Order: sequence, then structure tokens, then C-alpha cells
Amino acid sequence: MLEVRNLTTVYQDGTKALDNVSFQVPDGAFLAVIGLSGSGKSTLLRCINRLIEPTSGEIMWNGTNVAALKGSELRMARREIGMIFQQFNLVKRSSVMTNVLSGRLGYINPLFSLINYFPADDRRRALAALERVGLTDKINNRADALSGGQQQRVGIARVLMQGVKLLLADEPVSSLDPVLAHSILNQLETLNREDKITVVCSLHYLDLVQRYSSQVLGLRDGKVVFEGDNKAIRQMTPERFKEIYGEEAELVGAGKLSGAEH
Amino acid sequence: MAISSKPGSDLKKSPVVAGLLSLILPGAGHYYAGKRGQGVLLAIIAVIMVGLTFWARGLREVNLRPDTELILIVTTVGFWLWAIAAAALHAAQRPFFLPMLGLVLILGYFYVLGWQVTEVDLRRFFGEFSDTFDIFSKVIWPWDAAVEYDIANVSATTQFANPCPTNTAEIPAQAGAANGKAWVTLDPACGEFSIYDSSKGAVQVGTMLTLKAGGLKPNTHVDVLWTDALGQQYRPRYNGASVEGTADAQGNLTIQFGAPQIETGTQVGTALHTIEVRQELGRSNPHMSEDMELALNRIIITIFQALMATSFGIVLAVPISFIAARNLMAGSPLTLAIYYAVRFVLNVIRSIEPIIWGVIAVVWVGLGPFAGVIALTLHTIASLAKLYSEAIESIESGPIEAITSTGASPVQVVMHAIVPQVIPPYVSFTIYRWDINVRLATIIGLVGGGGIGQILYQYIGQSRWQSAGLCVWLVAATVSVMDYASAEIRKRFV
Repeated sequence: MLEVRNLTTVYQDGTKALDNVSFQVPDGAFLAVIGLSGSGKSTLLRCINRLIEPTSGEIMWNGTNVAALKGSELRMARREIGMIFQQFNLVKRSSVMTNVLSGRLGYINPLFSLINYFPADDRRRALAALERVGLTDKINNRADALSGGQQQRVGIARVLMQGVKLLLADEPVSSLDPVLAHSILNQLETLNREDKITVVCSLHYLDLVQRYSSQVLGLRDGKVVFEGDNKAIRQMTPERFKEIYGEEAELVGAGKLSGAEH
Repeated sequence: MAISSKPGSDLKKSPVVAGLLSLILPGAGHYYAGKRGQGVLLAIIAVIMVGLTFWARGLREVNLRPDTELILIVTTVGFWLWAIAAAALHAAQRPFFLPMLGLVLILGYFYVLGWQVTEVDLRRFFGEFSDTFDIFSKVIWPWDAAVEYDIANVSATTQFANPCPTNTAEIPAQAGAANGKAWVTLDPACGEFSIYDSSKGAVQVGTMLTLKAGGLKPNTHVDVLWTDALGQQYRPRYNGASVEGTADAQGNLTIQFGAPQIETGTQVGTALHTIEVRQELGRSNPHMSEDMELALNRIIITIFQALMATSFGIVLAVPISFIAARNLMAGSPLTLAIYYAVRFVLNVIRSIEPIIWGVIAVVWVGLGPFAGVIALTLHTIASLAKLYSEAIESIESGPIEAITSTGASPVQVVMHAIVPQVIPPYVSFTIYRWDINVRLATIIGLVGGGGIGQILYQYIGQSRWQSAGLCVWLVAATVSVMDYASAEIRKRFV
């Protein structure tokens, strides 16, 4: 169970990226976070695993306040909280295998990293993860030789190595075309259903939100402007969606919605 | 020239004022007429043209030809008049008839002056090109100098005294026939040299000598070599031809000739000269010449110089690159100040050519390869640190984020997110630099920095073009191989 309480994040330049954000995500939920660019989606996701330091508030993850953790305790918590990214964030010049293995770093002695050593057990695990995302034939390819969709699947395999219980997905399909977007989100759905991994995913397209999420959190200017469950999402009209996105996004939003249907 | 303002224009300026202003300084009228940028530019050009004319007239190295001077003055005056007309027409807001004329006059001025001060001489360029043929052919095809042979000789020597000593016991004895060995005798064994009598315009022949030799290889050419008391060797000449001959079927030879024309100068007393008969029986056992061996040794030293300079450069450039990377140093004003200071020093070191560092290093540690290594190392540090730091500046933060989010420790983040991004460009830049250093090492010798450049410079000074050609070929071969190898390695690595 993830519970965020009164989370506020103010950047050094004074920008208030998150303003008193509170919400709950039950175990096994698929939460879609929606909102305009700059509404605080990325900041929220990065606060949960502390890539960005929140200014105040609590992030309760299975009874622990992640916001207050330090050093190795924080790293232990991060192992359970995986993250995939819009730009995939693979080490481009390294092989697919190396990228996947790096998901295991939280479990191995840092001294091994100096000689780039991974236990044989981890290699087996990496093979299994690659099999699961369907990339066994690309093991030795350089990451930047892969297509966008394949790179995101490497990102998912990397997360699988962590043995995650919570998956943060920061616009995982925004760099991909609609067909690939469905393929990636299908994989997230599988992880969510079969592995009981809680997913917190920021998304742009309403049809994807309606199709995949069980819960929605709408952000605008760092504030929560919408919270609803599966039923509320189904009933959410494009008009309501546009309210969250703001008037200026109206046309673009409508275009994206129709574009994603095909 | 009809100058009138356009009726009804509110912005019109007086063409007369514009013209007068431009008479004082070209461009002033343009400025007045509203063409400010053009006005400033024209004024600067006018000042430069006048200044350069005075400078060229005062030059001692170059004698300005009168026609050149005339062209300079005509183009300057023409430019002046053009500027006046243009300014007046601009002020009157009328279209200008010859906008390109000014440019033609300016360019004409600079090319005529430039032609003179750089002493361009097409007659010499084409007419005296043939002077280089000899050098060119030797440098381009130097391989004769790469091989030496053992030369099998038949040779015998005897001595000759000049002038004849008063004590006959001092006349060199002539050995005569020896058992199976080559021998040579002179008769007489002392005498006077030939002298050129300038009043008669003819040579006054000295003592007539009879050279007898035996024990030679039959029917084979014989050279006669005359070595004076100071060790200078001549091929004596008599009646306009070299003194030489061919041994008869018994291996004997007799030549008669006048004693050669040898300057005795301030010689006191009797001097002994050595006369040699020599037959070259053929060349055998071809082997590498001394020059070739030296050039090979030096090219290997040169490659090592590049290796040493590159490795010293890497060791020092890696730590410096971190403090020269803006993204790492932008944190506080102090670190930013360090960044700017380091960058400045690196730029200064880099902007000084390695050959100049070579001169400094020779003063520092003396002639030799080490001076070259110092010069190359300094330049390498500066350029590698710059390239490395730019590699650091261009790393992506995404992988750092991703690796951090897996629960990795800071060491692991560096090893798995930063190092993989930085290593390939580091390797690439380093190989590229090693390639450059080999090239630079070949010329750093010109200023005494050891390696092949040093002997190349010596050979050029001694006009030993074939030996210089050997060095040039070795340099070219080494640089080509390095160039190709470094390109291949970088292609595979990055």
C-alpha cells in the first residue's frame, strides 16, 4: 500500500512543483497520473523513489516513510520500487545484457561493480527477464541499436531484475507510436495482474487511461484536481479530461485521442 | 553629377553635406545619410588604405615599384570619389549606379599591395621550377641510399714527395713487383706540380711522371687516386682527361702524366703524397646503409616519443578533465572560478604550437628525445583535457537516474552509468591524439627534440637529399599506418 500525505516539493528556483499532494494506492492497483506537461507528474513519480527530494510530506510505502530514509535504507527501499522512463534511460553503449543486469545492482556488493562482476545466478535471472519481454535474440546487441519499443522492454526487464513490488512509469509510451504503446502497456498490465505489482504510471492519452488503469489521479499546477476509480474513469468524458488538461490543450487533446484509436 | 533630393521626402538629407563629409572621411557621408553600419565600415577601410600606403612606402625590405605606388594612389583616390558620390546619392535617396565599383577598388588596392609585399613572382615560380628536379627526384626515389654494398678492390699505393728533398734518402722508395700482389711505382718519386700560368692562359706542366703498376686484374679498368699531405683526395687530370687506364692481359699498366696541379700554399719543406691505383671488381653483399639504419632507429624512437607523450598526457589529463567540465563545476562560484581558470590555462597551452614548446623544452632539458617528449606532453595534456571534459559535459543524466532508481550505491552509479558513457569517447580521443603525436614527433626534431626530425633537419642542411628522402618516406609510411590504424580502432570502439 502506497500512501502519499501532504507531499510538497519546491525547487531551488522557487517553483512549487507539488503542492500538498495526498492520495492512496492500494496494493495491486494500476494508477494513471494525468495532467499537462509541467503539472508535476514527473516530479511526483521521482519523489516516490527519491530521485527528487520532497520539501515536506510523507511517502508511506508498506508502513515505511520513504521520504525520511537515508543511505542504505533508502537503497533497500529503492530495490522494491522500480522505474521506467519516457526516454528509456538505458546506457546506450552497453549491451542489452549489461543494461538488464544493472537492475540487480542493489543486491550485490559494490566492490564487485569495480570489476563489472555479476553472479551467475543474476545472469540466469537476466536471461529469464529478457525471455519474458521477448528480447532473447538481442542479448549482445548494443542498447542504442534497438528500436524505441525494444529499448523500453529492456527497461522493463531491468525493473524485473529488482524484484519490484511497486513500478513507477514516467510517461513510458510517450516516445512510442500507438501500436507499440499498447504493447508496452500490455506488458505493464501483465506485471500488474500476474505479479501483483502496483503500477503508478503517468499517461497522456485518455483511451489508454481508460483501457489500462484502475485508478486515476489528475494533477494541475502541482495540485490534485481529480481522483477516481475505475468506474469514474469509464464515465470520464473527453470534456472532463480536458478540464484537467486545461482549455489550451483542448484541440491537441482531441487530436491525440482520435489518433490513438487507430 | 546631378545631385538633387527626392521631392516630398521627409527624411531627406543634404547631398552636399553628405558629399563634403565623405570628402573629409569616406563613410562619414553614409553615416550622415543614415547608413550607419556601412559608414563605419567604409571609414575603417579608408583609414586602413591610407595607413597601408604609408606603411608600404616606408618598408625597407620591399621596394615598391612606381607603377604599384601609382595603382595604390589611384585606387585610394577612386575609392574616395566613389564614397563621396555614393554618400551624396544615398542622401538624395536616389539609386546608386555602381555599388560594386567601391568593392572592386578596395579589392584592387589590397591585391596589388599584397602581390608586392609577399613578393609573388610568377616568372620565378614557373621559370625556376626545374631547379627543384634534382632535389625532388632524390627525395622521391631515395632507395639508392638505403642499400650499401661490399666493394671488392684490388689496390696498391706508393708515395711521391714535393718538392724534391735535398737529402735523396728522403725520396720515397718505390717497392716494385711483389709476389702475386698488386704494386705501383712512380718514376720519378719526387718533383714539381703543374701550375696554371695566368699570363699565358695555359698550364705549365710539372714533372712528367711514369706510373707503372702490376699484379692487377687483367683487362680491367684502373682508377688513379691522389691523396695530398692533408688527406684531400683527387683524381689527377692530365691534358684535360682523368688519369686512368686499363690493365693489360698480364695485369700490368703504364701511364705517363704530368704531376697534377695541386695548391701547395704555405707549405714548408717536403710533403709526402699518396698515390693509389684501384680496381673495383664488383659490388657484393648488399646490406642496409648506415643512413637507412639510423633513420629506422630514429623512427622507432619517434614512435616511442609519441607513446610516452600520449601516456603522460592521459595520466595528467584525466584528473584535469574533471575540473574542466562545466557540468561538474557549475555547483558553486568557487568551483566555477576554478573551471574558468583551468580552461584558460589549457587554452593558452594549447594555442602555443608544439614546435615552440619544443624550443622551450630544448632549453630546459637539452637537445634530444626527452625535450620532444616534454613538448608533446604539454600539448597533449591541454588538448586531451579539453576533449575529455567535453565528453564528461555531454554525458546523459538519464542512465544516472535509472541506475540510482535500482537501489545502486554511488560507486555503482559511477561504474555503471557514468564510466560506460565516458570510456568510449576517452579511448577514441586518446587514439586520435596518439596519431597526432606521431605526426608531431616527426617534426619536433626540427628544433632539436630528437627523433627522426632531427636527422632529417641535418640531412637537409647538408643537402643529402637521398638520406633526407629516406626519412621523409619513413615518416610518411608511419603516419599513414597510424592514421589508418587509429581510424579503424576508433570505428570499432565507439
